[in-house]
Amino acid sequence: MTTTLRPLTAALIAALALPAAALSQKETDDIVARVDERQHNNGDWAALCYMESKEKDKTDVVYELVYYRRTEGQRLLILFTKPKSEAGKGYLRLEKNLWHYDPGTGKWERRTERERIGGTDTRRGDLDESRLAEEYVAKWEADEKLGAFDVHRLLLDVKPGIDVAFPRVRLWIDAATGNVLKRQDLALSGRLMRTGYYPKWKKVFSESKGTDVWFPEEMRFYDEVEKANSSLILIRQVDLHPLSPNMFTKAWLEAKSR
Amino acid sequence: MILVDLQIASRNLLNHTKRNLLLGGAIAAVTALLVIMGALTEGIRSAMLESATTLMTGHVNVGGFFKITSGTSAPLVTDHEKVLADVRRLAPEIDYVTVRGRGWAKGVSERSSMDLVLAGVDIAREPGFRRVVRMKEGSLEDLAKPDTVLLFEDQAKRLEVRVGDAITISAPTARGVSNTADVRVVAIARNLGILSAFNVFLPSETLRSLYQLNASTTGALHLYLEDAAEAGHVAARLRGGLAKAGWRVMDPDPRPYWEKLMGKVNSEDWVGQKLDVTTWEDELTFISWILSALLGITGLLMFILLVIVVIGILNTLAIAIRERTREIGTLRAIGMQRTKVLWLFLLEAASLGLAGTACGALLGVALAAAVNAAHLAVPESMQFFLMQQQLTMTVLGRTVVARSLFILAVTTGAALVPAFHAARLKPITAMHHIG
Repeated sequence: MTTTLRPLTAALIAALALPAAALSQKETDDIVARVDERQHNNGDWAALCYMESKEKDKTDVVYELVYYRRTEGQRLLILFTKPKSEAGKGYLRLEKNLWHYDPGTGKWERRTERERIGGTDTRRGDLDESRLAEEYVAKWEADEKLGAFDVHRLLLDVKPGIDVAFPRVRLWIDAATGNVLKRQDLALSGRLMRTGYYPKWKKVFSESKGTDVWFPEEMRFYDEVEKANSSLILIRQVDLHPLSPNMFTKAWLEAKSR
Repeated sequence: MILVDLQIASRNLLNHTKRNLLLGGAIAAVTALLVIMGALTEGIRSAMLESATTLMTGHVNVGGFFKITSGTSAPLVTDHEKVLADVRRLAPEIDYVTVRGRGWAKGVSERSSMDLVLAGVDIAREPGFRRVVRMKEGSLEDLAKPDTVLLFEDQAKRLEVRVGDAITISAPTARGVSNTADVRVVAIARNLGILSAFNVFLPSETLRSLYQLNASTTGALHLYLEDAAEAGHVAARLRGGLAKAGWRVMDPDPRPYWEKLMGKVNSEDWVGQKLDVTTWEDELTFISWILSALLGITGLLMFILLVIVVIGILNTLAIAIRERTREIGTLRAIGMQRTKVLWLFLLEAASLGLAGTACGALLGVALAAAVNAAHLAVPESMQFFLMQQQLTMTVLGRTVVARSLFILAVTTGAALVPAFHAARLKPITAMHHIG
C-alpha cells in the first residue's frame, strides 16, 4: 500500500510544483479585450476628478477638474476648476490633436497626446477610455498572486505605427473580475518609468451600452525614475447621461473659462 | 604761433597748479573709469560671445523643426548632409562647421534630478570646445565614448554626482514615446555662468539613440565664419539660397530655437521639415539684456561723472576769468582780438583736458592689466550673469582713444561758455575790475 501511494504522492507534488499552464494567445487577447470592454461606454461620460501630485523639493499640488468623453470620435474634454490659478484651463481632443487652452492668454496650443496633464505624472490616457487591445499586442507572462488576488500578468508591446507614451506595459489583471490592479509603464529602453495601482473599481449602469461600465475610482502612480514623485487620482460623480451636442468645441471650453 | 599760444596756456595752467591739478585729476579719474568700464563691458561681451558661440550657437545656424503631426514638433534637421552640401555651396566664407544634436530632458541621479538642455557633440570635431570649457574633473576626451556626459560643476553639485557616477536621462522621443539613456559622467567642467546652468553635452550617438533618430538626422549645423560680423549677410543669403534649392525655410525670427519650439512652431499648421536659419545674435537674445543692463549702468554712471566734471570746469574757468579780468582788459587794450581771448581760454581747457584724459587713459589701461594679472575671482552670485569665474578686462585701443577724445571734447566744450564770457569783456571795464 505504502509503495503504491508513493508514486501518486510524488506525482501530486510534481503537479503542484509545476508553473500554471500558459494562457493561449487567444485567451490573452480576450483578457485584454475584456479589460477594454468593461470600461467602454458606448456614449457620453462626465466625471469629477481630483488629482494630487507630489514632487521632490516642490509643494504638493492638488487639482480639481471635470472631464467629459464621447465614444464617437474618441473625444475628450478636460476643464480645470481648482485651484483658482488653474481654473478655466483645459484640454480638448479633436481628431487626434490635443489642444490646451489657457484663459490667461486666451490662446490655444497644440500639445502631444502623450502630454503630462497639468504638468503632473498623469497622462491623457489615464483619463481616457481604455484602448489596450487597439494599441498593444499582449503576451501572457504568468498567473500569480498579487496580495490576496489571483492575477494574470501580461506584457503588452505597442503595435507598429501607433504612438503611445509608454511602448511597453506590464499589467496585473484580476483573474476573477478582469480589472487591472497594477500596471508598469516601461520606456523604449526597457527602463521602468511608472508603476500604477488601481485599488478601487466601481461600476455605473450605462443606458447607451445597456450594461455596467467599470472605472477605477482611485489610481496611484509612482514615478520609478524620480522615486519621490507620485500622483493620486480620484474619480467621482460619474454621469453617463448624454452631453450637449456642441460640447466638444473650443467655443464651449472658452465660454466655460470666462 | 600755436606754440606761443600753447606756451601761454601752459603757463596759465601752471600758475594755478593746485586748482588745475584737482580738475585735471577729476578728468583723469573719469577717463580712467570710462576706460575700466569699457574694458569690463568688452571683457564680459567677448567672454560671453566666445562661450556662447562655442557652447550654444555658431555664428550662423542652420537648424529647423520636424513635425510628425501638426501638434508634435522636434528641433531636427533631416538629411543634414544634403543641407550641409548646399550650405557650403552658398556660403564659401565658412571657416568650419560643427554638427549638433538638440534636445531637452530630465536628468535623474540617485539623489536628485533637474531639467537639462542636451547638446549632442562629436568632440573630435569641436575645435573651439577645448578653448572655452575648462575641466574641473575628468577628461574631455572621454566624451567621445558612447553613453557618457559632460556636466558643469553646479549641475554636478545639484545632481550630487562625481566623475564615474551614472545618471539617467529621460525624455520623450520625437514621436512622444518615453525613453531613457543611462549615461556615465566623464567630465565636470568649470561653470560658464548662465550658459552652463542647463546645457550638458553628450555624444551625438547617445542623443540619437535617446531620441531614436537615424544617422542623417541632427539638431543643427553650426557655421563658423572667418568674420563673425558677416553673420547677418550670410544668414540672409542662406535663407534665399536654401529656399531656391528646394528646402522649406522659415521666415527670419530673432529668437532662440527653443522659444520658437515652445511657442510658435507647435501652433502652426504644417507637417514635415522646415529649416530655420539664425545668427548668434538671434540665439542669444535671452542673454543680451545682461549686456544692455551693463551698458545702461555704465552710461548712467558716466553721465553723472561728466556732469560733475563739466560743473568743475565751468567753475574753475569762471574763477580764472574773474582772477584774470584785469589781465584780459590789458591784453584787449593793447590790441588782442576777442577771438584770440576765446581761443586762449579754450586752448587752456583743451590742454588741461588732454593731460587729464591721457593720464586717465594710461591709468585705466594699467588698472585693467593689473586686474587681469591679479586673476580676481568673480563672486559666485555674479558669475551667473557675467559668465566668467575670473574678472577679465579687454582693452581695445580704438575704444580707449574714442572715449578719451570724447572726454576731451566734453571738457573743451564746457569751456566755451566762460571763454565767450571772457572774450566779451570790454577792455576799459576789465582794467578797472577789482578782483
